[in-house]
Amino acid sequence: MNLKISALEFVQQVQNGNISAEDFVAKTLERIQSIDDKLHAFLFVNEKAIDQARDIDKKIKSGSKVGACFGMPISIKDNMCIKDSKTTCASKMLENFVAPYDATVITKLKEQDAVFVGKVNLDEFAMGLTTEFSAFGSSKNPWNTEYVPGGSSGGSAVSVSAFECVASLGSDTGGSVRNPASFCSVVGYKPTYGLISRYGLISYSNSIEQIGPLTRTVKDTAFMLNIISGLDPNDNTTIDNKNEDYLSGIDSGIEGKKIGIIQEMVGEGTDPTVLSATKDAISKLENLGATCEDVSLDMVKYSVAAYYTITATEAGSNLARYDNLRYGYDFSVEGYEFNSYIAKARRNFGPEVKRRMIIGGFVPSAGHAGKYFLKAIKVKSKLTREINEAFKKFDLLIAPTVPILPFKIGEKINDPVSLFLIDINTVTANLTGKPSISVPFTISNGLPIGIQLLADSMNDKLLLQAAYALEQTITLQEVPI
Amino acid sequence: MVTEEQIEHVSKLMKIDIDDHKEYVDKVQAMIDYFDVLDSADVESEEISMQEITISNLREDKYVPFNEKLIDKLNNYKGTYVRAPKMS
Repeated sequence: MNLKISALEFVQQVQNGNISAEDFVAKTLERIQSIDDKLHAFLFVNEKAIDQARDIDKKIKSGSKVGACFGMPISIKDNMCIKDSKTTCASKMLENFVAPYDATVITKLKEQDAVFVGKVNLDEFAMGLTTEFSAFGSSKNPWNTEYVPGGSSGGSAVSVSAFECVASLGSDTGGSVRNPASFCSVVGYKPTYGLISRYGLISYSNSIEQIGPLTRTVKDTAFMLNIISGLDPNDNTTIDNKNEDYLSGIDSGIEGKKIGIIQEMVGEGTDPTVLSATKDAISKLENLGATCEDVSLDMVKYSVAAYYTITATEAGSNLARYDNLRYGYDFSVEGYEFNSYIAKARRNFGPEVKRRMIIGGFVPSAGHAGKYFLKAIKVKSKLTREINEAFKKFDLLIAPTVPILPFKIGEKINDPVSLFLIDINTVTANLTGKPSISVPFTISNGLPIGIQLLADSMNDKLLLQAAYALEQTITLQEVPI
Repeated sequence: MVTEEQIEHVSKLMKIDIDDHKEYVDKVQAMIDYFDVLDSADVESEEISMQEITISNLREDKYVPFNEKLIDKLNNYKGTYVRAPKMS
């Protein structure tokens, strides 16, 4: 059986009776078992997955109504709640936490007969961009296992890239879907802020994070978006997309569209190979009838500092709930005073989380708030104004997803600022709430390069059409694992 | 300049028990130094934009039955109460 098919091909083949969901899920689990020791994408595998797929096959055979996923095997980043499943956030703090309810995205996928094959790795509480900060060990890039897969949704990207599932859900706070998608040569999508409910996503930085799909093709991303987007009474930041069909008209092309090349994202610090790939992508888009011109977003220079200031502050607040009393690991309260117990219990946070909590306590504190937090909020506001102005002139914006190629595991782990700067091209979409996609574009010396496109808020459909057009211009190598 | 005393103070505020505050000084200092780039951003006159969410978007405030005993999922509880250490 060929596992190397897209989500839509899977649906078609199950619908046509060419394959059964049970066989496909069983083969997928066999593949996970045979290769995941090398990749460490999965934290847990769902042992009931085959039974669930078999039940869906029975529904198909009996002529009952079947959901749009037809038993499609999907992996889920382990910071989203699946009822009665462990949800660890790759943290020792939540090592044994079993979620008592489903995240809205999970409810929606269950209603459409998706099968969750397992929970996948991330940087602890999604704080990182390599998965090296997972308390359960780093994932490996399937293109070269000595290299990082990107993060924080590294497990999601690895599992899709290495054919351990058909699609995955990640979360993107500053590029955490797009960065690993670029590093592992898959499609990664960060929707307009509010398009997908965050209910049941364990909070890191509520004002900017979004759940997003990682898939093999742009069409698959549109398919997933059709299922998981829309209003949710449990998340009042969600917006009404009027049940937009993102798949219809995806092949509309981009003739006549104006695309701005963000100058601050293709300048100093961009690897020449990445720059060359970006120029190649621009040429291809021009050949399809788009017009590409330079555009400047001055605030991009300050965006990474603003991003880390805001996210650390929100994280400091969000992580305050981990007192080990309402949920946590087995650590007796006997003999402790209240505050010292909490502080002692929170030793189970990893070093990066502790660092960000310290930053999160430092930058909004009296005497520092004006210098850091207030300025960061102002940068966010001005950057939003700048990008809104740009979208008056351009339909889309383009830049490399990540300014550098994937790097070796351990290479940058002790240099937080050099890690920060890898986010320079992705944080703008988060700070401004705009939708953004990473499209796998080329492989250089065995390492993938992705191209990022951005659109104005609620222009997700146009963005997917452009990404699809770009995707059609390329033929990529198959992952060597 | 980030000092060991500051790290100790903030870690106490954030309720994180850290053995070696010195270990955090260099990395936190490097992060804070990088954030100083914000000083050169021309944003003095910038107004902060807020996202308004109307009250009509809030879900109905009603009791939703939950069939399981959530208290059973805790490590430390007594009867129907969360068991916490004494406050000094």
